[in-house]
Amino acid sequence: MNREEVSAKIQDIFRDIFDDDDLLITDKTDANDIATWDSLNHINLVNSVEKEFGVKFALGELESLKDVGAMIDLTIKKLSK
Amino acid sequence: MLFNSYEFIFIFLPLSFFVYFYLTSKRLVTASKAWLIFTSLFFYSWWNIAYLPLILISILFNYSLSKSMLEFKEHNKNYISKANLLQIGLILNIGLLIYFKYMDFFITNTNIVLSSDIPLLHLALPLAISFFTLQQIAFLIDSYEGLVEEKNFIDYTIFVIFFPQLIAGPIVHHAEMMPQFASKWNMIKNYKNISAGFFIFSIGLFKKVAIADTFATWANAGFNNSETLNLLEAWATSLSYTFQMYFDFSGYTDMAIGAALLFNIKLPQNFNSPYKATGIIDFWQRWHITLTVFIKTYVYTPILKSFAKITFAKAMFATFAAMFISGLWHGAGWNYIVWGALHGFALITNHYWQKYSKIKMSKFLAWFITFNFVNVTLIFFKASSLSQAMDVLSNMIMGNVVLYYKLESFLSFLTPLGVSFETVFVDIGAKSQTFAYIIIAFIIILSFKNSNELTNKFRPSILNLAYTFILFMASISMLSNFSEFLYFNF
Repeated sequence: MNREEVSAKIQDIFRDIFDDDDLLITDKTDANDIATWDSLNHINLVNSVEKEFGVKFALGELESLKDVGAMIDLTIKKLSK
Repeated sequence: MLFNSYEFIFIFLPLSFFVYFYLTSKRLVTASKAWLIFTSLFFYSWWNIAYLPLILISILFNYSLSKSMLEFKEHNKNYISKANLLQIGLILNIGLLIYFKYMDFFITNTNIVLSSDIPLLHLALPLAISFFTLQQIAFLIDSYEGLVEEKNFIDYTIFVIFFPQLIAGPIVHHAEMMPQFASKWNMIKNYKNISAGFFIFSIGLFKKVAIADTFATWANAGFNNSETLNLLEAWATSLSYTFQMYFDFSGYTDMAIGAALLFNIKLPQNFNSPYKATGIIDFWQRWHITLTVFIKTYVYTPILKSFAKITFAKAMFATFAAMFISGLWHGAGWNYIVWGALHGFALITNHYWQKYSKIKMSKFLAWFITFNFVNVTLIFFKASSLSQAMDVLSNMIMGNVVLYYKLESFLSFLTPLGVSFETVFVDIGAKSQTFAYIIIAFIIILSFKNSNELTNKFRPSILNLAYTFILFMASISMLSNFSEFLYFNF
């Protein structure tokens, strides 16, 4: 799966979690851009990404997923393992 | 050894610094690291050498356990699984903490409930145990989850016992610290780091000896006389403790960050002007940040992830549980539990408000509510018993109104309302200058840039040298009557 495909699926996950069908994300999108991106929704995002791609994030990695770019990069890294 | 002592500032710190960089300049890498370990162990043993074996065994045990998890090969003939190794590690680390920190609390409460007479253990709390336990638990969990690669035992030991952060944090994470100790670049003297280190160390020292220790005398006297405080004294007592707490703990952290910077080691930020917070969620993102991150990562998240379906209500349960545990982590006492629980309820309220309320609160009102909540809950944190906390609290609401006697000629019309005019602040061992100190403290916490912001944009200059020198000299002149840091007891 290339970066665009991962990014597109993560975009769908974001639209689903934040309940906004027009939400457009970029690599730079972070909690400052989405008001409801709090610690609860962060875990919802992580759970959905894990389920969608069949990967598993470690607890110690969650704090580093500060923006969409970091989330895509780590997902790709895990998929390539 | 205390940071605010002559022996630390004039002997220990310079000696560890110069020998370290002498050894690195001769490219004696292992010897320089061994020197850091030796100085840190010396620093730790200065108070009480009895617990030195405990911390050494703890380091050796956790390192070995992590190593066996890294080298673990899944095999159906194994007697134990990798998960078992982690469980053993968690049980032993938490067990050790419970044994030393909570046993007497459990025994006391068991005795009350069962009317039994089990004798107390009267164990002295091993210094820094609350902090090095958390740091090593994070290391074990990360080792289990595959985030730790082969690590060097010497670097691991320095990560746990590096003296600036050993006693009271910031709580450091191996992923941000161990690469710094392994880096060859960090072994070259860096004059910018040295000057910035001195700068923030001096700010911290001044916060501690000039501000926190002054408020401490009023807070201590006020809590000792909690039953007889009048209204203004009760407020002065509680505000004094709230300011003491911040200037003491953040001052300690500044000194830790400064001392580490001399060795080119960057410790994480622990405070970001917490008393400017405009909500209790905001407060916890600014206060003791490294603890909040630890609790969120290793307590809140696993609780929440253990549910099949995550809902808002379950998240609120996890929030409360995390704050409750945080309260208990601070100390073995009902007052800490009440404090943690109150903050848990406040976080839930704040989350509900964010989610459901349509009202936009003014920034000032949001700050006012947050600050007063923090101020009132800190009474429980400080009080030696719940009844003492209630005394201070009730006198803040219903205490007698006693005003400064010189105001009588202007305000005598208040006398029929029960207002009397005498010397103020007698019960907290102060005079009217307390009032000025409180005003100044408010100005500092609300309008000044914090020490981290100042250090991040620090440039060596004559002006900054002058600031550092003035703060340093003023602090040194006040050093004689030094006290311990509040967070040493945790």
